[in-house]
Amino acid sequence: MIKLSSLEELRDLFKGVRNSSDDSRLQIIICGETGCQASGANDIIRVAKKYVLQNQLLDTIELRITGCHGFCEMGPTAITKPQGAFYHKVSTNNISRIIDAVIADDYVEELLYRDPKTGIKYYKQEDIPFFQKQQRTIFKKKQEIDPIRIYDYFSNDGYNALYKVFSSLSPEQVIEEVKVSGLRGRGGAGFPTGLKWELLANQPSKDGKYVVCNADEGDPGAYMDRSLLEGNPHSIIEGMIIGAYATSANMGVVYVRHEYPLAIKHLIIALRQARDMGLLGENILGSDFSFDIRIVKGAGAFVCGEETALIRSIEGKVGEPRQRPPYPVQKGIRGKPTVINNVETWANIAFIINMGAAEYAKIGTEGNSGTKIFSLVGKIKNTGLIEVPMGISINEIVFDIGGGSAGDSKIKAVQTGGPSGGCIPVSKFDLPIDYDSLAKAGSIMGSGGMIVMDEHTCMVDVAKYFMNFLKAESCGKCYTCRKGTQRMYEILDDISKGKGTLEDLDLLEELALVVKDSTMCGLGQTASNPVLSTLHYFRAEYERHIIQKRCDAFVCKELTGAPCQTGCPAGTEAWRYVAHIARGEYEQAYIAIREANPFPSVCARVCDHKCEEHCRAETTGGEAIAIRSLKRFITDRVDPSIYKPERSSEIQKAPVAIIGAGPAGLTTAHYLSLQGYKVTVFEAEGNPGGMLFCTIPSYRLPRETINKEIDSLLDENITLKCNVALGSDFTIDQLFKDGFKAVMIAIGAHKSKPLELENEDADGIYPSIEFLKAFNVRGEQLARGRVGVIGGGNSAIDAARTALRQKDVESVTILYRRTREEMPAFAEEIEAADQEGIHIQTLVTPLKIITRNGAFSSLQCCKNRLGDIDSSGRRKPVPIKDSEYSIELDTLIVAISEDSGVDVIGPALSSKIDVTDRNTIKIDDHTLLTSRPGVFAAGDVVTGPNTVIDAIAAGKKAAIMIDRYLHGEELDLSVEIKLPQVYIEPIEVETEDISTIDRIGIPRISVEKRRRNFTEVEAALSAIAATQEARRCLRCDLEFTQPKEIVEECLVNEGGRR
Amino acid sequence: MITLKINGLETNVEKGTTLLEAARFLGFPVPTLCHMDGLHPFGACRLCLVEIGEGPRIKLVSSCTYPAEEGLHVRTASRRVMRARKMIIELLLASSPQSKTIQDLASAFDVKQQRFRQEFEDCILCGRCVHMCEEQMMAKAIGFRGRGENRSIGTPFDVQSEECRLCGGCMYVCPVCMLRCTYTEPEKAICGGCANLSVPCIEKEQFDDVMCYMEPCVACEITKD
Repeated sequence: MIKLSSLEELRDLFKGVRNSSDDSRLQIIICGETGCQASGANDIIRVAKKYVLQNQLLDTIELRITGCHGFCEMGPTAITKPQGAFYHKVSTNNISRIIDAVIADDYVEELLYRDPKTGIKYYKQEDIPFFQKQQRTIFKKKQEIDPIRIYDYFSNDGYNALYKVFSSLSPEQVIEEVKVSGLRGRGGAGFPTGLKWELLANQPSKDGKYVVCNADEGDPGAYMDRSLLEGNPHSIIEGMIIGAYATSANMGVVYVRHEYPLAIKHLIIALRQARDMGLLGENILGSDFSFDIRIVKGAGAFVCGEETALIRSIEGKVGEPRQRPPYPVQKGIRGKPTVINNVETWANIAFIINMGAAEYAKIGTEGNSGTKIFSLVGKIKNTGLIEVPMGISINEIVFDIGGGSAGDSKIKAVQTGGPSGGCIPVSKFDLPIDYDSLAKAGSIMGSGGMIVMDEHTCMVDVAKYFMNFLKAESCGKCYTCRKGTQRMYEILDDISKGKGTLEDLDLLEELALVVKDSTMCGLGQTASNPVLSTLHYFRAEYERHIIQKRCDAFVCKELTGAPCQTGCPAGTEAWRYVAHIARGEYEQAYIAIREANPFPSVCARVCDHKCEEHCRAETTGGEAIAIRSLKRFITDRVDPSIYKPERSSEIQKAPVAIIGAGPAGLTTAHYLSLQGYKVTVFEAEGNPGGMLFCTIPSYRLPRETINKEIDSLLDENITLKCNVALGSDFTIDQLFKDGFKAVMIAIGAHKSKPLELENEDADGIYPSIEFLKAFNVRGEQLARGRVGVIGGGNSAIDAARTALRQKDVESVTILYRRTREEMPAFAEEIEAADQEGIHIQTLVTPLKIITRNGAFSSLQCCKNRLGDIDSSGRRKPVPIKDSEYSIELDTLIVAISEDSGVDVIGPALSSKIDVTDRNTIKIDDHTLLTSRPGVFAAGDVVTGPNTVIDAIAAGKKAAIMIDRYLHGEELDLSVEIKLPQVYIEPIEVETEDISTIDRIGIPRISVEKRRRNFTEVEAALSAIAATQEARRCLRCDLEFTQPKEIVEECLVNEGGRR
Repeated sequence: MITLKINGLETNVEKGTTLLEAARFLGFPVPTLCHMDGLHPFGACRLCLVEIGEGPRIKLVSSCTYPAEEGLHVRTASRRVMRARKMIIELLLASSPQSKTIQDLASAFDVKQQRFRQEFEDCILCGRCVHMCEEQMMAKAIGFRGRGENRSIGTPFDVQSEECRLCGGCMYVCPVCMLRCTYTEPEKAICGGCANLSVPCIEKEQFDDVMCYMEPCVACEITKD
């Protein structure tokens, strides 16, 4: 390497290098950074090299290894030139095909990035949504440069800024440039860099001055500094030389973590190259300016990222912050004036000089100029390193660049700034990303970690995690930081175990505020942020942990037990029957189901299976166990009479009246009867069953199944009176007069919400409930011709599929205002409707109902597009201008939502029972008591339209409450945590076998056989399939039930693995 | 000379004077545990917090380490200071209730109860002993080890240091252990200075001479271990 001794020589070098570089040359660029190395980039590079050499392609194609391409999740990644194609998840098997394709100016189609949601294939890197909204100034360079080749850097404008500074700018002018650019420290606090430099420049310099690059990156989940050092070390060196020149510093230090070996290696190589070429050392480029940089490796204490601790660490002492003032600019390393900037800040300097400060200041927003690199990780579709202009909203980062949630779950919050930062809830996602807005929202910019969290993340657990980190990483000098973090952790740990109290919350907040206020350094002053921000935005979640002993994210182990059991409103021990199925013990499995649920066969068909939603097999990245299908398998196979419920021998004198013979009412009646109560059930319709019977179509739930199950519950203690309705046939006052001691209202929600459009009462328009009821109860076929169904819930799908099966129907179309992904109906129901030939038109809003002679004739609609995210975490439908069109229809079914019958509210009010403004009966959530003593209410009439299992759960609770009420006992039950109790020995299975098996699909009869009739669509699993599915269960229960000896034995035999 | 205001009182001090020295010079009481004349200020116990600055830039700093600045406004007992100080005392009480010094502090600042899980730690890691050993005895026999919750004071690997002359300076300067209440043995108990508080122990016969600060009684709690 030639040593450059003057500016002219550098200029000549530029000319030589840049003229020889040719953009039209074929290139394949493979990412060689730690992230891609972890997914096998090194092998790919080796194979690619071999292939190029063996086929003598050295002159045809250039193979280059560069820094991070950003899309780390898709690694190893490769880019081709001049095509600009982006290949992801490249492997040793297909790298040769990519090379061949580049040479043939072709693409390897199946390796191109394809959007998992839309399925669109992208040929160019910059078209991929992940890259589209980014502004990749620093990153763009990084993927062009081989970090260990200084000539690569030269040919990409490298050291141009240095040349410009040395040839035409005085130190003062450089500082002025940096000030004008508005660059603020990228380490997180955002102190203006130019100002910091000016302070250093003004310090006397007789003993020398230091400039330091802070690469002590310690935030969990953040790695942008590492990526910069690994991918483009020369840009940091160039920035530091310019900084030293501007501030007349003569010594430079890069303080980098020992656990970044590749970064250190690349930096050492780059420093040696720079020194060899005369860019570092004595009299740089023949000037009288001398400057050199050395590396100091930190041992990995988080606190050493704090500048005063970092200085002490460089000096060889224990990394412990000290009081400022004096500031490092006055007294830094060994008492000499020192400026410390983050890696990313240094990387920005060359750009500012090259681009011109005024131009740079235009990027981003006023006061927050430039771009910022974030490491976007967590429960998000696209993870990786992103570079965005300041002022971009969190929404854009999370949903446009990040692609939204990784699975079906809703995104809940984003955590910025690592352990010192805070959580920002989804409702605040329109917040622009800049130093000041984030600080105002209770978080910090930090060095750029951004962790996205969804519903499966527990906020108490997040706070606890960070506090656990901080209590270990606090230096321990300040009493409040050391003890404060320990005590905060202790309280959070208590809360996560269900041992917290509401007073604890106040104490936690009080302590957090004092810790923030009273510590010496930045670590302690921000240590409370994770607690304070989650407390501020998610206090309700904390309170749920404390009062209801519930962790909604199913994370806190001691509160969750087995998630399937806790997820079930009725507390069914799903793990227990799944374990029995795996062992072939079907009768025991049935008993486990029936003990918790008096309607097992019904739920096996129509339950919304909350158990599966929280199944660990799914939340850990796989697919949930098909618990509902397994239940169906058991209920179809086992004779219900094997279960003999426990009956109390006592006879209770007080008679109870239950109004409504739906799942809630019958459940209560059943459990009260078991305790010896005489119960009378009043039903308005001619048959018991309520919603099961009125609205759920028989192709999903055969009538025989309902009748059998109800018959098995009715006994001599229960009197059923049909065709009597509350209000028209009897009143609550009357019931009490007739001697009933307690009354329960469980009349369901039987009225659809109107669209509230003109002409809605025209002939041919029906609310969905009315439509379904007419058919299910009276056999009337109201639909004819072309049928439109408005809505996207289960009720809409039921109505559509029922309409399809009616004789005068030509076609059925579902109209929904969002996209199919946002439809609240069960995915399997939508799929089945689709199979049966029902058209699903999405992104449509009805505007006007057109009638002809008083009858419905067509519907005027407009098209929507998805807009911003609303508070529910879904994208809002926004009407597209001038997109109106009309659909010719003969029948319109409105299924947007259901209300409880308004006709009930009158009698309810006249019986002194309060109602809510949502037309539901008002109750005390803990006791189910209405405003009138002795009158309870449960089911849809309380909650609004809801699921069968919720009604059953409410019915069970009502039975307990009524019993307690009639015995004059305290109604408010203390909440108990339901943890698995019974130990069921697991079957030995090879983990390898299990991990390859997919979730079993739902067996359905063929479309031809079912399309126009009411035969049951779903079939039961075969015994082999059911056993296999049951064996996939991860057995979360064992953690609680496994006998100690077995645990210890495992620890010994398996070397600590369980 | 530097002119600054402490609790509204203007005063002139020499450059390099700490806020603690200035405040004490004016007679304002500022409690400390880790500070000791003759040793370098360390700022570990945070009890000497004072409030400085105006408007949105108000902050709390440890007065023992903060140098006096021209025109600075210092408040030694503002509401914010007192809130932090009381919490620090509560934390101290929760971890080292048997220390007479800490009991007295609690008594003086009207902290009557601590709300955390009771611990019984002998050391608050104020570092006086470390600094005594280094700065006055020129030995550097002991130092801090570990960080965060694992921080402790001792010699490397717990091997006795050859530098140690067994001078006892470390014990002499300890603010916490030198007057530790010996709880269960009434004849040895030196605790009793906090008679100004209501005490559950008073009712128990064997503790006639002993008055312990804590509620529930620390003495009773500690015998369980």
